[in-house]
Amino acid sequence: MSMLFRRIVNKLQRATCPPLKYCTTVENQAKIDDVVPIISEIQYDDGNNFYQKPRQVWLENLNTVEEKKLGLITLHPHIYAAAPRIDIIHQNVRWQRMYRWVSYAHTKTRAEVRGGGRKPWPQKGTGRARHGSIRSPLWRGGGVAHGPRSPTPHFYMLPFYTRIAGLTATLSVKLAQDDLHIVDELEIPTSEPSYVEQLIEERNWGPSVLFIDSYDIMPTNITLATDQIKHVNIMPFYGLNVYSMLKHNTLVLTEKAARLIEEKLLYHLHRADNNQLLRPFRLNQQ
Amino acid sequence: MAGKQGKDLALSMLRVLPRLSLGNIKDNPGSRKSPKRGRGQHGGDKHGAGNKGSGQRQNYMRLGYETGNTPFYLRFSKEPYYKGHHLRREYPPLSLKMLQLYIDTNRLDSSKPIDLISLINTGLYDINVQWKHAGVHLTDEGAHCFEAKVNIEVQWASEPVIAAVERNGGVITTAYYDPNCLHVIRNTKQFFSRGDPIPRRLLPSTDCLEYYSSANTRGYLADPEKISQERLVLAQKYGYELPKIEEDPNYEMLCERKDPRQLFYGLEPGWVVNLQDKVILKPKAEYLKEFYAS
Repeated sequence: MSMLFRRIVNKLQRATCPPLKYCTTVENQAKIDDVVPIISEIQYDDGNNFYQKPRQVWLENLNTVEEKKLGLITLHPHIYAAAPRIDIIHQNVRWQRMYRWVSYAHTKTRAEVRGGGRKPWPQKGTGRARHGSIRSPLWRGGGVAHGPRSPTPHFYMLPFYTRIAGLTATLSVKLAQDDLHIVDELEIPTSEPSYVEQLIEERNWGPSVLFIDSYDIMPTNITLATDQIKHVNIMPFYGLNVYSMLKHNTLVLTEKAARLIEEKLLYHLHRADNNQLLRPFRLNQQ
Repeated sequence: MAGKQGKDLALSMLRVLPRLSLGNIKDNPGSRKSPKRGRGQHGGDKHGAGNKGSGQRQNYMRLGYETGNTPFYLRFSKEPYYKGHHLRREYPPLSLKMLQLYIDTNRLDSSKPIDLISLINTGLYDINVQWKHAGVHLTDEGAHCFEAKVNIEVQWASEPVIAAVERNGGVITTAYYDPNCLHVIRNTKQFFSRGDPIPRRLLPSTDCLEYYSSANTRGYLADPEKISQERLVLAQKYGYELPKIEEDPNYEMLCERKDPRQLFYGLEPGWVVNLQDKVILKPKAEYLKEFYAS
């Protein structure tokens, strides 16, 4: 009995059990105590009359590959939660494709094809069909009737407020589909393209990404890093357009760019001189 | 999703749909008609001109011609009802309801005097001086729900409109602007950039002198004593208690009125406003001062 007891005591002594630790935080993770969340909110003039809730979006970072949420940003619902009018988006895309397209397809008319001045045979008495020229459109080698003429421009202007509605609709769709991200700034630690590729891979931003900044001189690192990647592009906020937004999977705005876009579009939606603005484009000119 | 409607519902539906891209957008069905090319020399059809004869040749008869009948416009000897219609002034209407809406939606600032210039600057109301428009006619539509306290200057107002404005403690004046001044008011920025001195407002023409000098219509040439008396008379007639304007915190604003020769609040005739340098130039010569004095 005593032997048995001693053996058990020996075994217990030999077994080196690690000291138990109880902890409420997960280890191997950076402390976030020192990060004060940024809450970016704007008092809008029409803030009391919203029918929709203002949109709240995470403010993210670009200086690490892993996503850090730096805070919350509140966006105007008329710009970032407008009606997702697919038809207006389509009209904008069609306009952007058409206005710059000049068709150079060209055919010669019967007058431009060489020869054919002489009447091939007399009008009567030959038993053949009457013809006046061997270059008539009925003839092989003759001119083309109503063929394409070069240059044919396809320029037209989409109405001003359709263009505005296209921008708000596309921004709203992008935000609704989680394809719009807002970052604090476009500063990245290296100028290596692999950093941007890793970042896009890590955050599931899809292959193509459009970065929008508030100013047309971009930070050096992101300019060099995205230079060689064809499907990652950077653009100043005034170049924002419907086609480019849809061309890229993800749209990344800096906080300042998002505010500038909002401000500009709100100005156009609420400007008092729209009557004067649209007067030159009115069909009924008086 | 139950509570979501309209835009929010559409946007929440988009969350579960494939990503919108250049490949999966289209216009509403039937919104675009593909252009068709007509066959033949003239596009193949008659271009809406019909088949034969005068109509096909688009031989339109002159206006009023009735193919041999005595035309309607010659059938009766004279119609004097519209005599001088090309000289009569016209006052495009603005209802009290719309005025209230402009104030509620911050298009007009009711803490400052409202006149034709501020109405045109809203971008919602406009006049065409070529069409003999002479200013705003404030109409009584929405008089029952008009609640703003304003100091307003209009060109034409009826008795119920005056009552509706004064019932809320506001002030209304009817004032005349000559066509030259109306051109200035119509586009003030264009006028200032032209560099001309602000013109002197002319007195009303004889046909409306009585209207603008009568206290009943709150004319700008009427005696203020008589106007304050008429305000009381109107309050008794329409059965409301006239708020005491002397005790109003905005008494000074409510009593602000233009000089009969003055066009803009704070600017006198003869001054030149330089928009580029942001300065106001005032005449110094005696004869100019004398000319522009009211």
